[in-house]
Amino acid sequence: MSTIAPALQPPPKPQPARVPTDWTTTSMQGRIRRRYRSERRFRLLGAGAVLLSFAFLVFLLISMLGQGLRGFTQTELRLPMDFPAARLALDPATLAGPNARAALAAVDLEGATARAADRAYGTGGYKLLSDGAWLSVRSAIQADPQILTRRADIWVPTSTVIDLAAKGDADAEAEAGYRLLDARKAVRTSFSMAFLTGSDSTDPTLVGIWGALKGSLLTMFVTLILAFPIGVLSALYLEEYAARNRWTDLIEVSINNLAAVPSIIFGLLGLAVFLNFLDFPRSAPIVGGLTLALMTMPVIVIAGRNAIKSVPPSIRDAALGIGASKVQVVFHHVLPLALPGILTGTIIGMARALGETAPLLMIGMRAFIASPPGGLADPATVLPVQIFLWSDEVSRGFVEKTSAAIIVLLVFLLAMNGIAIYLRNRFERRW
Amino acid sequence: MTETSLNDRADKQQAAHGGTLKMTARDVDVFYGTKQAIKNVSIDVTQENVTAFIGPSGCGKSTFLRTLNRMNDTVASARVTGDITLDGKDIYGADMDVVQLRARVGMVFQKPNPFPKSIYENVAYGPRIHGLASAKPDMDAIVEKSLRRAGLWEEVKDRLTDSGTALSGGQQQRLCIARAIAVDPEVILMDEPCSALDPIATAKIEELIHELRGRYAIVIVTHNMQQAARVSQKTAFFHLGTLVEYGDTSDIFTNPRQTRTKDYITGRYG
Repeated sequence: MSTIAPALQPPPKPQPARVPTDWTTTSMQGRIRRRYRSERRFRLLGAGAVLLSFAFLVFLLISMLGQGLRGFTQTELRLPMDFPAARLALDPATLAGPNARAALAAVDLEGATARAADRAYGTGGYKLLSDGAWLSVRSAIQADPQILTRRADIWVPTSTVIDLAAKGDADAEAEAGYRLLDARKAVRTSFSMAFLTGSDSTDPTLVGIWGALKGSLLTMFVTLILAFPIGVLSALYLEEYAARNRWTDLIEVSINNLAAVPSIIFGLLGLAVFLNFLDFPRSAPIVGGLTLALMTMPVIVIAGRNAIKSVPPSIRDAALGIGASKVQVVFHHVLPLALPGILTGTIIGMARALGETAPLLMIGMRAFIASPPGGLADPATVLPVQIFLWSDEVSRGFVEKTSAAIIVLLVFLLAMNGIAIYLRNRFERRW
Repeated sequence: MTETSLNDRADKQQAAHGGTLKMTARDVDVFYGTKQAIKNVSIDVTQENVTAFIGPSGCGKSTFLRTLNRMNDTVASARVTGDITLDGKDIYGADMDVVQLRARVGMVFQKPNPFPKSIYENVAYGPRIHGLASAKPDMDAIVEKSLRRAGLWEEVKDRLTDSGTALSGGQQQRLCIARAIAVDPEVILMDEPCSALDPIATAKIEELIHELRGRYAIVIVTHNMQQAARVSQKTAFFHLGTLVEYGDTSDIFTNPRQTRTKDYITGRYG
């Protein structure tokens, strides 16, 4: 267009003569050296911090594995049982039928086992056995009733003292006893499924982690199905729908405060509301899950809001601009794009809930529970509480079981984090 | 400038150029909180012409554009008074559904903003949520037609499943135009569609605007006066929230009536 003329420019004003900066003076050189030094110093500090935290991690892993792996093994003693001589009032035929349990309960297997030990290893030999050794004898009879007609060697768990001696962690007297047995090829130490499938017990050679693990799984399940949807919907509503005013400010401050409340307070809240007021069953995963959901929800809301905030507004504009409704914008665009962040926050919250002990103590999940929970309302305990309980036990045998339980808890945590990373990578998209 | 004189002028120009009225705005004020961003603007958008809004930064041209499809509704503090009609119907009226309005009055934004989905999904999203195609072949046809109209089909037909965000800036903007076209709008609003593009991509978009003219009523906001001169038939000059001058593009650029318009297009400010 002819009328678009170049703008009129005033002539340059006269300027004072320019003195060039001297970049080679000693003060300049000194400044350069100081700059390089501070760069180096910062890099060293950073690398040192990383190394230090890595060293802590390695120390934790090594000490845990060193202590804990022994907890997965169990020393067993070969017990020669002469069933015909023991005169157990048992007929192999009755053991095949449905009355097997009752028939087995009627005879004194415990006494027979102790007598067999005395015969094989001298008077007092029963002390070499775990209190639950007769359970192995019972299992052997159940597995093969014909065993009652002959002599047989049965491997039964040893007492804690022998078990520790086998793992080189007992006094000289026990060590000597163990070496004697070892010389007779009467003991073996092997990986024991019993630890992974059993529940709590008063005898460290008989304890298992499955009861607590299942309790944790059920509790986490309740926490997740409550905290995730409620947390995500709250975050979506607060970010996408709620007007900015004093009330939403108040809610935001409250949620932030709630995330920082010490967990024992949530335990007291759970005790007051779920047990005393609503009369829910004590020690149950459903109450534990509800309590931990209260604790996890603010974390999910905060992480969710940050993830939703980081979805670029241009995506919302684009969807609105072609006539998407608010709900369509939120569920077709905002939520899918925010999901990786929301999931990361959720897993962090869940991991915290998984490791939580204090609030669960308040609602009675520290009870001694000798069988795994069958449902959400059954008495149960959870991994961290189980660890806490075992670490409090007097018997030396519980030390390695505690470490073994910690390993199980850490593996559980690692698995959860692994799932989180997988989900995040799956849903992450490039813009 | 009084509102009657503006209205008279708009009516006169209407008569003179014989365009079919598509959208009208009368005495429109827009407030953000207590701050008035648009003061008493009246303007007509015609079916056959490309209307360009020009003016210095912050003069309210984008704000006004966003009132035409009620995108300002998303800003909590924004308030619009006055009358804006589409085919004679008040778009701020109680019986106007805002979702349908935005389907009829599409929008292309300053920064290309394809969804982080495939090229196909970007175009198909609008028709899908409005139920414009039920079967896959119908949808394929809509996607192809829209991409062809946006001049992008030949470049992307072999990679419709690639992410829309993997395209170049100019291609992304044409994808956004295709996405707007796909819901078959009557008006397309373009908010500085070329400001983030290089000259070659800009030329392609301008060419595209020429081709789309007539089928859709087009309103384009631009801070580039040469672009306004190239693509539009009508030009409105905004300054400090007021509509200073509105008329045929050739008149505005060769024979502006207002001193402010003249100063702006000759580059004295802006």
